[in-house]
Amino acid sequence: MNVWLDAILILVIILGLFIVASTRLGTTIQIFAAQSLILGTVPFFMYAHELEFFIVFVSIAAIVLRGFLMPKYLFWAIRHVSVRNEVSPYIGIGATLLLSAASIVGSFLLASKLTFPIKICSDMVIPSSFSLIIMGFILIVGRTKAISQVIGYLVLENGIFLFAILLLKKMPLLVEMGILLDLFIATVVMGIVVNNITDDFNITDTNELTTLKD
Amino acid sequence: MNTFLHLIILVVFPPLLLGIIGKTKAFFAGKIGPPLLQTYYDLFKLMQKASVYSLTSNWIFKAAPMVCLSAIFAAGILMPIASFKAPVQFAGDLVFFVYLFALARFVTILAALDTGSSFEGMGASREATFGCLSEIAMFLDLTILALLAQKLSLSGIFLGGLASSWFLVGPVLILVVVSLFLLLLVENSRIPIDDPDTHLELTMIHEVMVLDHSGVDLAYIVYGKALKLFILGTLLISVIFTFRFHDHLMDTGFFIIEIMGLAVLIGIIESTMARLRMNKVPYLLLSAFIFSIIGFIVILLRGHS
Repeated sequence: MNVWLDAILILVIILGLFIVASTRLGTTIQIFAAQSLILGTVPFFMYAHELEFFIVFVSIAAIVLRGFLMPKYLFWAIRHVSVRNEVSPYIGIGATLLLSAASIVGSFLLASKLTFPIKICSDMVIPSSFSLIIMGFILIVGRTKAISQVIGYLVLENGIFLFAILLLKKMPLLVEMGILLDLFIATVVMGIVVNNITDDFNITDTNELTTLKD
Repeated sequence: MNTFLHLIILVVFPPLLLGIIGKTKAFFAGKIGPPLLQTYYDLFKLMQKASVYSLTSNWIFKAAPMVCLSAIFAAGILMPIASFKAPVQFAGDLVFFVYLFALARFVTILAALDTGSSFEGMGASREATFGCLSEIAMFLDLTILALLAQKLSLSGIFLGGLASSWFLVGPVLILVVVSLFLLLLVENSRIPIDDPDTHLELTMIHEVMVLDHSGVDLAYIVYGKALKLFILGTLLISVIFTFRFHDHLMDTGFFIIEIMGLAVLIGIIESTMARLRMNKVPYLLLSAFIFSIIGFIVILLRGHS
């Protein structure tokens, strides 16, 4: 059992909880950056004995892309749209925290029931990735601001990335890059949408968006 | 003899912690501050004074400080200090330990309600709300420790039971430590939750409940507060430092350094942080609970291997 990997995974889950619990967008983005940085180092710990070039490449790509470029881009977006806080989320902070706790418990229970064809170096990787995915969903569903939902989507992508690291040996590099690229495009599209919303209606509250009529 | 030394540390040492916190805060504020032994002087002065009782209060108000202090002291007797075994120990005493604090809280709340003052009622309601949130987290933390050590008494857990756990499940113990530290701040109404120095009734929790106590009763309450800080601090540092020299003098020396360090840490937090807004406090407690539940799930999944 790898204590360091466990510590990192627990840290990642806790940072996920911080993202879910904070209403300030700036803080959320910073915590997301920290989470992605830490996630980017997971392959080094997981494949410490069989390090290959493409593993290093994937890690560094993940770190640079999601740890530095994406937060920078999101900061630019919130400056541009001038949104600072998530004012009135659909699901309150306390309820969100409890839901996330329930999702963490649920994913640990679920993962203990599953059997996997390949050998996994730590039995905490899969539950952590499940709980990150569910926390991302909670953010997408529970928040009103478009930027919070983008961050929710990115947290979800982090969960998927964590899951994909397990298959890094089996999966070709192309698929791996596909995930990263997919993420990049998704955020760019969302960013454009967000900006257009601001330019046309001067508001980024999706709540308002659904009640628009002509 | 060991029991006697345990009791001496338990009785004599706690008020010094409040003095250390006060000195640290004074250092950060650039003041000289009250002397290190100020709490002892206060207690001595208060013991010589008579108590004043309001006409609306009855025996509950008079009994509460004594019950509160004795409950906390009983909890202290269950808690091993340094390498001294607790004078009283039995299987399952960790449940008793938590409920003794609950009893102390219960009588304090009753006494606050007994005065009939609306301010004290407000404090009592807050204390009850935060208390029921912190108790779950406390139980979960102690359950994790009991599962790790495979023992059901505090002495069993802390005198050797946890020795190898840091190497096996370090991350879980970090979660427990963070959760216990948050609980320590909440239970002792320290700064991110409650300001022990403020006398603005709208924001106080613990202080507002004891406004009407005076003289000897107040001395009991101040002493009980110091004792509670000492006992929960001991719980926290027993989880952090599981190593023992098996030499009473060395162990006690290190223990005193550690708990003084903890007091300095609390002082630093109090000087550098602002008090949280009242409606944010449940989130803090909720996160303590979530930390412990993550740890609990990991331990359940892993077993205690």
